[in-house]
Amino acid sequence: MDLHRVRRLTEVLVASQARSGRASSNPKSWYGRGWVIALIDAISFLAAFGATFAIVRSLPLTSTELTHAVDDAAPFVPLVAVATALVAGVMFELTATAKFSGSDAANWLPITPTEFVSASSAAVAYSYSPPVALFLGGLLAVALEAGVPGTFVLTAVLAFLALYEGGVLVEMVRAVSQRAGPSNTGRRGQLALLFRAVLLVVLILAFDLAFNPVFLLAFLRQFSTYEIITTAVPVFWSTQALFYWADGAYALAAGLAVGQVGFLAALVVLAGRLRRRLWVPLPGEARVEAAAPSAGHPILAGLGLSRAEAALVSKDLRGFVRRREMLPMLVVPVVLVVLMLVEGASLGALASVIWVGWVAGFFAFLLAVTSIGQERRALQSLFAFPITPRTILRAKFSSVLVPALIGSVVMAAAVGVLFRLGPGVVGGLVLLACAAAVILAWWGLAFAARYSDFQERPRPQYLRPGAMIVGTLSGMSVLFALLLPASVALFGSGAPVLLAALWAIGFSATVGAVARHWSRTGFDRLFRELPF
Amino acid sequence: MDAIPLPSRPPDDTRPEGGPPALEVRGVSKAFGPVRALSNVSLSVPVGQIVGLLGPNGAGKSTMMKSVLGLLRPDVGEILLFGRNVREDPVGTKRQIGYVPESASLYEFLTGAEYLDFVADMYGLDPEARRARIPQFLTGFELAGHENTLISGYSQGMRQKVALIAALVHRPRLLVLDEPLNGLDPRSARVTKDLLKNLAVREGVGVLFSTHVLEIAEAICDRVVILNRGVVAASGTLSSLRDRAGLASSDLEEVFLALTGTGDLGEVVTALSH
Repeated sequence: MDLHRVRRLTEVLVASQARSGRASSNPKSWYGRGWVIALIDAISFLAAFGATFAIVRSLPLTSTELTHAVDDAAPFVPLVAVATALVAGVMFELTATAKFSGSDAANWLPITPTEFVSASSAAVAYSYSPPVALFLGGLLAVALEAGVPGTFVLTAVLAFLALYEGGVLVEMVRAVSQRAGPSNTGRRGQLALLFRAVLLVVLILAFDLAFNPVFLLAFLRQFSTYEIITTAVPVFWSTQALFYWADGAYALAAGLAVGQVGFLAALVVLAGRLRRRLWVPLPGEARVEAAAPSAGHPILAGLGLSRAEAALVSKDLRGFVRRREMLPMLVVPVVLVVLMLVEGASLGALASVIWVGWVAGFFAFLLAVTSIGQERRALQSLFAFPITPRTILRAKFSSVLVPALIGSVVMAAAVGVLFRLGPGVVGGLVLLACAAAVILAWWGLAFAARYSDFQERPRPQYLRPGAMIVGTLSGMSVLFALLLPASVALFGSGAPVLLAALWAIGFSATVGAVARHWSRTGFDRLFRELPF
Repeated sequence: MDAIPLPSRPPDDTRPEGGPPALEVRGVSKAFGPVRALSNVSLSVPVGQIVGLLGPNGAGKSTMMKSVLGLLRPDVGEILLFGRNVREDPVGTKRQIGYVPESASLYEFLTGAEYLDFVADMYGLDPEARRARIPQFLTGFELAGHENTLISGYSQGMRQKVALIAALVHRPRLLVLDEPLNGLDPRSARVTKDLLKNLAVREGVGVLFSTHVLEIAEAICDRVVILNRGVVAASGTLSSLRDRAGLASSDLEEVFLALTGTGDLGEVVTALSH
């Protein structure tokens, strides 16, 4: 392995990530440079350190209490790091279109699969490091005050290894998912495309869950004890090493830390082999059964959509299952549902109701914020067609709502059965999930109309990262402001029920109307002039 | 040479005689920040004529075409389609235009047939018309047999053919074609050129045609407009441009190089050869 080549490739991949936004496409601008992520890391680290230090100083805590806090928190930092790199990587790194997979420089430059995997994993780890820097900054403040800086150093080293591990896992998913095309499964036709979509979702889901500490622990504890699991399963070695360190068992801690390094090396070798064996520059061609030119879309027309709107919705729904780069988006709500099912019994009916509403809203939001950016350069077709911005808005809203409402009803019914809820409560739950989906669809479209990223790059995003963060945080706040009183209305009794119901209805109507207005003005503005 | 047969126009179709040009661009300027892409550009595409838009890379050709389509808003000036300002009725004017962008971005997750069906829906083409026209075009461009393959599996030439069919399927009155022959095999390029000539002569379609291949412009264009650094360097028939350049017996390449002020190419080639 040529380390110089790996370093140069890493730099290029990081620059590609930094310049993926429309505004940062100017390579001379400071925010289009790779080191900006290191700057964000440093700012996150120092901000967390300063804030935590001030808080810790203001609290009357003894050194022993602080040491306990460090010993309790530190072991989870590596787990958070793996999950951050893996989830963010799956969400944002697997969205490269087939066109870019095919033109990936690694396909034609003299770069070995292991070199590519090493470089790309490093780029993923570096790109998604700010949340980990935030955790580490907070941890250092407490560790210094407690007088246990050694714990911080070991945690930091293991967290960096864990970030890299997450990056390597993303590369494994990338190689495997690229192979999961219809031409490689010997199938043809419409069903082949559906089969590929399901296969990819299951595949990404399996990776996500296999390295999700919450799921893994909940699942494995049915078969074994906590100590045996964390010692036997490599994913938990960093965590267990930090527990041993806290107990003063330094040799065991060192052993597991070294074991973690060995596990990571094995993963890199495995990922390199997977890429060598499975990577195909372009997925094979897929044929679909011949169909005569359509005479319209009767079902969609029945919903009140015009012919152009129905055609746009039909196009988006096809893309939903056929576009490899869209499928990772489906995994997140599925993971949330699986976690709910695993933890369901302990959550209770009330929490599950909130969970259902949250997943419904979050799913609609995800679809909505990506709905414009996923047009990519084909957006100019929409400009060239004789249609108005309002036609496109109605179509986009409909193509978000169709899958979101179906998902909401299915989830609400499943929770009703799981917790043996009465028909009135299930009906209320269906309404609540649908309301959450509608409001968050408008909310997402308002952001998508203003901050979509249309760049076709090796590592594209559908929405600019800053907008994604602000949109998600504000959207989730809106959701909870709706879901908490609504769940009181569903399960409470007496006067608060009426108050909560009125609040939920009034809040939904107001926020929904505001978000709809933002979406309309955003679409009018977006379709005034081609944004690229 | 099996050119695509053209369906005749309906009897109530009245092509304007001596009416306004298919396209008229009046004093259009467009800047992107400090970069002036177009400066006071005026040109017209008469009904039934093919006008070639030529110019070096970065001359402003694509900006001009995108402005005609309403994809970009000119800072100054106006664009008239059959005498009507495109900004007053953007949807109505777009209905009359067929557009092939410089690099066709198609929906790769649709098949060729599904994409063309989608485009037909966008233009409100009735089922009978699309059943008659889409297979005709697919056969003419040798895409029959590939129409049910996802576009992601198409070669560049096949994508270009789909983009061309999408621009033609609704029988537009003005064609705006940005490098339409990119990636086409010789047969399809010939079909396209002959088809454009037929559409112009027989159907009165106006064509604004951008290309870097000067032989093509020479072969099919009635008039050419040469853009250089965002301004019209020259326009007219080829013979009038020859006269203006003082190169009476030269081909369009020599005329183009003379009118765009290109330096001594011999020196460049000699330097690059070492």
